[in-house]
Amino acid sequence: MTQSEGRATVKVLLVDDNRGFLTLARHLLAEVPGTELVGMGQDGFEAVKLAEQLRPDLVVMDISMPGMGGLQATRLIKVQDQPPQVVVVSHYDDAAHREHAHAAGADGFVAKNDFEREIAGVIDRCRQNRQPREVLDV
Amino acid sequence: MSESRVLVIDRDPTRLQNLAACLAFIDHTPILAETPAGLRLEGRRPQDWLAVILGELEDWSEARQFVDWLKRDRRHPPLIVLPPYHEKAIKEFELDPSACLPADYPVKYHQLNELLKRAGLLRMEQEAAMVRRAGGPGGQSAAIRRVRRLIEQVAAFDTTVLVTGESGTGKEVVARAIHDASPRRDKPFVAVNCGAIPSELLESELFGHEKGAFTGAITTRKGRFEMADGGTLFLDEIGDMSLPMQVKILRALQERTYERVGSNRSVRCDVRVIAATHRNLEEAIVKGSFREDLYYRLNVFPIETPPLRERLEDLPLLIDDLVAGLGRHGHAGIRLGADAIHALRAYHWPGNVRELSNLIERLAVLHPKSMVGVQDLPARYRSTAVEAPLAAVPELAAERPPAAPLVPSPLEDGGLLPATPVADLAVLPADGVNLKDHIESIELALIRQAMTQSNGVVAHAAKLLNTRRTTLVEKLRKYGLSRDLPGVEVAGETLEP
Repeated sequence: MTQSEGRATVKVLLVDDNRGFLTLARHLLAEVPGTELVGMGQDGFEAVKLAEQLRPDLVVMDISMPGMGGLQATRLIKVQDQPPQVVVVSHYDDAAHREHAHAAGADGFVAKNDFEREIAGVIDRCRQNRQPREVLDV
Repeated sequence: MSESRVLVIDRDPTRLQNLAACLAFIDHTPILAETPAGLRLEGRRPQDWLAVILGELEDWSEARQFVDWLKRDRRHPPLIVLPPYHEKAIKEFELDPSACLPADYPVKYHQLNELLKRAGLLRMEQEAAMVRRAGGPGGQSAAIRRVRRLIEQVAAFDTTVLVTGESGTGKEVVARAIHDASPRRDKPFVAVNCGAIPSELLESELFGHEKGAFTGAITTRKGRFEMADGGTLFLDEIGDMSLPMQVKILRALQERTYERVGSNRSVRCDVRVIAATHRNLEEAIVKGSFREDLYYRLNVFPIETPPLRERLEDLPLLIDDLVAGLGRHGHAGIRLGADAIHALRAYHWPGNVRELSNLIERLAVLHPKSMVGVQDLPARYRSTAVEAPLAAVPELAAERPPAAPLVPSPLEDGGLLPATPVADLAVLPADGVNLKDHIESIELALIRQAMTQSNGVVAHAAKLLNTRRTTLVEKLRKYGLSRDLPGVEVAGETLEP
């Protein structure tokens, strides 16, 4: 976490096998003040590796990807050191998808159709919920 | 494993391209092949695809071979068959109709979207089952044996059960165990997480809705009460439910009837309700966020699931179960070294068994077919461990003669108490210690030394420690040591690692 002008910067990792969504999300993030895109991955396994290596504050994680999907990646990321918050994004938005994301330990769920409208709120909630790193560092 | 790839096999290149565009539009990754023979199957698994769309085939016997390969995996993806080949495919491939679904062409977006959504949810449910323990809560601690006794006591009756306990302690495992031991076991077990579903959607999710009841209700839909008819409905995170919804649930429980959203007709329900929460409902009642009458309606038979930190003796057994479970579902096996298990025993497990399950899954993915040592654990699981004793033992073993003479009491030989690590353990740090973990660390260090001195013969080591052999065997199991010392003799047999 870095500080700029009194606002903590939220470091974001984007993970999706859909390059179109990655491009869109990158542009939308660039418009949200106080965010820094630290990396992009294309499957769950990359997400696990990058989350450990880059130590983002927030992972925006697609639910269905080749090989390791977003739910398994979320479970694995949540036991790394200084685990980031994970918001699952999904083409499908229904109760069952939300329950699966919740059970995997995701901190939030956003339908891809609503991503543009909700991304600023997601970043704000991440900033509010974030624990100081020194607390997480055991 | 929430897979995005969809395999499309069709000899018509135009149709292939049309399907590819449609799949990409609904956020799936198309993999295209004109014939099954065009696929390289070496190193592939049927589950590499969420679904397989079959169009026109050049050679059905070739397709038959491919489908036979798919069927070797009982969790193979469904076939979605384009017209006019559906009937022929069911007959030719001898597939259950639930695994061979018809689709229209030209593609109807909503239909294909719905078929792939169902395939995805099925895959997610399979994945969830993989990490969910079957057969009730595992372990032999007094706390978990008590939970099992309560499950046995209540299962046969339709009594409403309230399962409380911290997040990740296995409340759903308890609920499923009650259902599986109940007369309703052959009927559905339906779970709903009230905390994961937005409150505005929860009513229709629980009670269903009529067509046109609200925007987006394009068809009549069953709710979870109706899906659970005759079986068990598990209301997880009931403490997160809004007050208006609590009123509706209370009525359904009291009157055994409910109405679908958009309907005035009452529907009778025959469900056994098990509710769960990690929240303190009595505090919630005082704060006004939970209804007292609902609490008493739910809290007929309370069961509390113990946190993992209060039953750490179960840890080795739980780890074995989790590793075996992952192995059954195709994960490469792993083994945890005694030093790793010791470190995990010193951890406080705020996320309980779910956190342990996630950790074991992570280790299995990142260190397949390996012996996982303490150095392979994320730092937060290492830092609370007392480091010296286990690290010191291999060197001690190497330095000592292979068959050290037996001595009647370890206290007679100052050399048995290794100066540095254990002596340091006897000094109280400024910020205090966890006494139980601390004493166990000392005990573990002494057991390791006794086992090393006695060349792994438990009976001899027991004499060195002036304890019964069976007691030592139990302690070896408790610390997960039995498999990790070469040639350790446990319960009359020599176990090879």
